[in-house]
Amino acid sequence: MSPGGQEQAAAEDLRHAVRRQFGRSLHIRTLDTGSCAACEQEIRMLAAPHYDLQRLGFFFTPAPRHADLLLVTGPMLRAFAAAAGKTYDAMPGPKLVVATGACALGGVYQPDAFSYGSVGEVLPVDVWIPGCPPSPLALLQGLLVAVGRLAGKVSALSFTVGGEP
Amino acid sequence: MPQWFIRGLRRGVVTTRYPARPDPSASTLPGPPAFRPRALTRAVADTLARVCPSRAIARDRGTLVFDAGACTACGRCRDAEPSAVIWSREFELAATDRPSLVKRIQLRGEESQ
Amino acid sequence: MTALALFGAAAGLWALAALTALLAGPPKGAVMRSCCGLSALGGAAAVAGGIAALLSGDSRVVSAGGSAAAVLAGSLQLQATSLSGVFAVLLGVVAAAIALYLPRSGKEPSAGTALYLCAYNLALLASVAVLAAGSVVTFLVAWESMALLCYVLIVHRPRSSEVAGGAFWFLALSETGFVLIVAAFAILATKTHSMELNVIAARARLVPADWRDTAYLLALAGFGFKAGLVPLHVWLPAAHPVAPADGSAFLSGLIVKLGVYGIALLGFRLLPEGPAWRGVLTMAAGALTAAIGILYAMGERDIKRFLAFSTIENIGIIVTAFGAAMTFLACGQRALWAFLLLAGLYHVLNHGCYKTLLFLEAGVTEHAAGTRDMDRLGGLARAMPRSGVIAFIGTLGIAALPPLNGFVSEWLIFQGLFQGFRTHSALTGILIVLAAATLGLTGGLAIYAFVRGYGIPYLGMPRTRQAAQASERGQPVAGPALLAVACVALAVGAPVVLAGLARGVQTATGVALRPVLLPGNLTVIPAHTKFSGFSPTYLTVFLLAVLVVPALIYLAGRPRAASVTVPVWDGGMLAFRARMQYSAMTFSAPTRVTFDALYRPSVSVQRASDDPAGSSGPVHYEAEATPVFERYLYRPVVRAVEWVADFVRPLQSGDVNLYLLYVFVAVLVAYLIAAL
Repeated sequence: MSPGGQEQAAAEDLRHAVRRQFGRSLHIRTLDTGSCAACEQEIRMLAAPHYDLQRLGFFFTPAPRHADLLLVTGPMLRAFAAAAGKTYDAMPGPKLVVATGACALGGVYQPDAFSYGSVGEVLPVDVWIPGCPPSPLALLQGLLVAVGRLAGKVSALSFTVGGEP
Repeated sequence: MPQWFIRGLRRGVVTTRYPARPDPSASTLPGPPAFRPRALTRAVADTLARVCPSRAIARDRGTLVFDAGACTACGRCRDAEPSAVIWSREFELAATDRPSLVKRIQLRGEESQ
Repeated sequence: MTALALFGAAAGLWALAALTALLAGPPKGAVMRSCCGLSALGGAAAVAGGIAALLSGDSRVVSAGGSAAAVLAGSLQLQATSLSGVFAVLLGVVAAAIALYLPRSGKEPSAGTALYLCAYNLALLASVAVLAAGSVVTFLVAWESMALLCYVLIVHRPRSSEVAGGAFWFLALSETGFVLIVAAFAILATKTHSMELNVIAARARLVPADWRDTAYLLALAGFGFKAGLVPLHVWLPAAHPVAPADGSAFLSGLIVKLGVYGIALLGFRLLPEGPAWRGVLTMAAGALTAAIGILYAMGERDIKRFLAFSTIENIGIIVTAFGAAMTFLACGQRALWAFLLLAGLYHVLNHGCYKTLLFLEAGVTEHAAGTRDMDRLGGLARAMPRSGVIAFIGTLGIAALPPLNGFVSEWLIFQGLFQGFRTHSALTGILIVLAAATLGLTGGLAIYAFVRGYGIPYLGMPRTRQAAQASERGQPVAGPALLAVACVALAVGAPVVLAGLARGVQTATGVALRPVLLPGNLTVIPAHTKFSGFSPTYLTVFLLAVLVVPALIYLAGRPRAASVTVPVWDGGMLAFRARMQYSAMTFSAPTRVTFDALYRPSVSVQRASDDPAGSSGPVHYEAEATPVFERYLYRPVVRAVEWVADFVRPLQSGDVNLYLLYVFVAVLVAYLIAAL
């Protein structure tokens, strides 16, 4: 492995080690940067008895000062970018950012005068959760990947059926 | 109050056991499409790219570029080309880096690029 | 030296201070310092005299003055009693603190200030005369002089209708109370055939029961005007804001306590025996006063009006304790009778200390930031750190939070009230418990009110430029600091203070509280063993020790890396302005909405036009709590008096012949009465 690759691997290991610190106790702060609130509905269902994220050690908190993970939805409206930055800055390190929903990942809205199109333009995102809206199970998987309790599957998926053309 | 209690006892525990055990409702969830590469001609690929409202599908010369992150699971690609697109039934789609959500699928009859 | 001699020394020093202020030239520099120095020395003498009086018991009555005294149409008789000793200690501490505050309080060196200082020191002299009075005439003369001199204090400020109105309320209610006090003393003096307070106390049984109760009720009302019992309290919120800060401190710290002294004098020394309903009535008046006082305090933005209503609340607590004491005596519980008197007196001391402190700090605030309005202040604890700390100690005391003195005295009062079951009468027991419940409500509201009273002006961000530019330079700090030390000392040294008070109460009531109250090792037990007990000293030590552990953890576990400073989290707003903080009225809004049957707010909204979007001009919003007592109690009385005056006016026609006719008729009537 090249020296640059070694550094990258070391950085990735460090990030992974940091994430694992949160393994069983994670405080999540949700942030809506201009979404249609469907993602928010699904996020809310995480606290309901059927999915119950508290059994995994995850909790919602309204205060960024108490938060470990910022769960961002919406296409990052330009009018909101400063507030999003302030929220991120108000979180004490180590901290994680998870972007969820097709809007936040760059789909649906192109970057224009009103929105950046993707959360990644403003905040450093650690985990991306696709979906429109992502089901609570998808959100749970994403959060568990963020804290290193599950390995991500999607890089191995090919989204093809039936083999070679 | 007593009725609620009795109903709760009868129903039992409803909390999902995910991730320890798979959740039975997972199969009913909408999710991104899966493509049949054998049915993907250039024309089909262009149709799919045109109907996708979220710019998740694009054709780059001989490759279908599918951005699973941008997909909203609206189903228009399946309605337009039912022979080329089926539901993938995948919901565990979280990725730690954004490029791993962009899949390149070789079209039929094209050389691999 | 005997207590009376020390009182005399204090009086002399204050007279000297008054003369210095009046004659030595404009009050600045050396003149001001010498005047205040004499005043402070007088305070020290008063404290010493008070302690001596507490410990040595009632002195004999001394007739002072000789032919000069005959001018006062009676003999000037002085006596230092243990009851007056408590109030004398308070007088001395308040006088010393205000004397330390005055030189830097921003008063102009003018003739008006000289007059003010003279009147103030004479008012101190009159107060010690009230406390040292041994006969009815001495008491009444001293009382009236004290009231008139306080009027001079209040009306000192540059004239405005507000000042005149506040001073007039004070004078009018003071005089009304005085009439009732004269009536009460007249009854006692005629029925016991003596003017000496000692003799009246000894012969109290000669007074027939209904005259005795009438005298007590007249005294309760008369002294209640001065003390500030609801509904006789309306002068307090009117007069306190318009008086200078040290004047308000003097009024709240001492003068209302003289009203309490009067109630204690008649209720415990002159007429201790009485029916239970008398005690219950006093207790109910006190409990009602306490609740209404703190509820009105919630709606005040002016710091001084807020503190005035808080004074009313605390007076209510003290009078509740006294009333419960009288009830216990009527039911035969002598130990609890003496104990609640002790607890009430201890609360008098405590309240005098922290209320004076808070008023002096209000004066510092007004001088530094130019306003008394809480909604124009903010962040003062950062701009004026020492004042912030001192005001915080005063706030902890008045909110009755451990470990400070307010907590100890209110705890004692509650413990006394909780033993209401010992009256063996279901009705009385229930009434005492209701009083305790009302005091509980008051205590909770007081904490809420003082979070607001300290948090809005001192914490947060400054809401105006004046508040941001407030500075502590040149502001008085010694006076308030002395009171802060006194508050802490009264709390930590509570066993010692209570021992002294118990000696005094033993003289006054004949009940030896000390063996049970203070069984050694710094614990305090209320009246009966096996009920409860705690140690204020150990509580303070424990609280401090508990703070040490987190401090050590922090010091040991502090991260080695440099820490990052980030802005305060303000909800992500782009432009956080100081006006977006809580204001005083919004903080108390939940309480005011809950109790709006009491406040009866009247709201008026005026728009420039009927445009519902409000974009056509400014909207004028006015909300006011109905002044219930002024409108529904005082205004009808004033109207009635004016109607009578109108009716009687024709008699004063100015015609000399008619006046001669009056003289003739009067002489005729006098002859007829003498002949019959």
